[in-house]
Amino acid sequence: MTAHVRTSSSLHFVEPRARVIKHPGPLNAQRIQSRSAAFARHFRLSLGPGTTLADAVIVPLLQIGVRSASMTVLGGQFAELHYCLAPPDPTHQAVIAYTRPRNLGAALMIFGNATLATLPDGKAVVHCHAAVGASDGVHGGHIVPHLSIVGTEPISVLVTAWTGFELSVRFDSETNIPLIQPTPEVLP
Amino acid sequence: MSAAPGRPKQARTAAAGEGTPVSLARPPEEARTAAAGEGTPVNAALIVEEGAMGRVAYARVDACLVDAHGNQRRVHGPAVEIVSLAGEVRLLDDGSLNAALTGVVADTAGSVHGGLFVAGSNTVCMTLEVTLEEWLPASATSS
Repeated sequence: MTAHVRTSSSLHFVEPRARVIKHPGPLNAQRIQSRSAAFARHFRLSLGPGTTLADAVIVPLLQIGVRSASMTVLGGQFAELHYCLAPPDPTHQAVIAYTRPRNLGAALMIFGNATLATLPDGKAVVHCHAAVGASDGVHGGHIVPHLSIVGTEPISVLVTAWTGFELSVRFDSETNIPLIQPTPEVLP
Repeated sequence: MSAAPGRPKQARTAAAGEGTPVSLARPPEEARTAAAGEGTPVNAALIVEEGAMGRVAYARVDACLVDAHGNQRRVHGPAVEIVSLAGEVRLLDDGSLNAALTGVVADTAGSVHGGLFVAGSNTVCMTLEVTLEEWLPASATSS
C-alpha cells in the first residue's frame, strides 16, 4: 500500500510501510525517554596516538568531571580497528545480537559518533558507531573501543557534555539487553 | 556556542548510533574505572565552550533513505546501525517548522548506505541515542 505523507514543504510517497518487529519483553509504552539541560559544554578532544579509543576518550573526560557525553569523531587513521555487526539473534533472546569482533587491522575511520555513559558498576563505557575504510573497502558498524588503537597521528573528537542528568547503561526488559538511558544525575 | 545573529531558532542533531550499547556477547573490558584516569595529564588540546542545548532522547530500524537520484531505498535489518546522523529543525519565514535528517547507515553485512531519511519510515529497532542542541540567538542567552 502506498501512503501519502504531507510535510511542510512537499508530498512524499512512502512505500512500503515500516516493518513491525516484536521484542521478547513486555512493551514499554513510553517510546521516547528524554531529559534536558539548560546549558552544555563543548570540548575538542584529541585522541592520543597508540592508545585505545576507549582510554583516549574516557581518561581525559573523567579527569574534567565529564561522565556522560555525545561525541563526533572527525576521522583519522587507526593502527588497529575492530568492529562488529548486529544481525538477528539466532537464539531469539533478543531481536539482534552482536557478532564477534572483526579485526580490520590498520584502517581509516572516516567518521563516527560515540556516547560516553556509565555502567551499573560505575565504570565508564564508550559506545561508538563509525564508517571505516579498510583494504577491502568501506564498512560501517559498531566499533570495539577497547580493542581499537589510534594510529600515529592524533584524531579530533567534538564532545558535547552537560549537567543535570546522566547517560547510564540499564537493563531494558522489552529488548532484553542493556541499553543506554538518560537517568537522574548522581553527584559524587 | 551561539547562533549567528538573527538566525532562527533551530535544533541540530548528533546521533550516537542504532543498536545496543553493550552486547550480551560483548565482554565488559571496554569499561574503565573512574580512578583509571587519575594521574594522567588532561589532554592539552581540550577546548571548552558553553552553549544552550535541548535534550537527549532514547527511543526504541529498517532504514528508508532517498538517494542522490531521488529514489527511495530500503535497507533491511534488523538491525541497521546509524553511523552518522545530521540535520536540523528550522523555523521558516512563514512560521512553520521544517525538519530534515540525512545520514549514513550500515546494514547487517557492514555495507554502508547514505541519504535523506524518509519521515515516518525509519522505525527504531533497538535503541537510538540522540542529542538535540538548541542554538539560541545571542540575545536570548544574554538575558
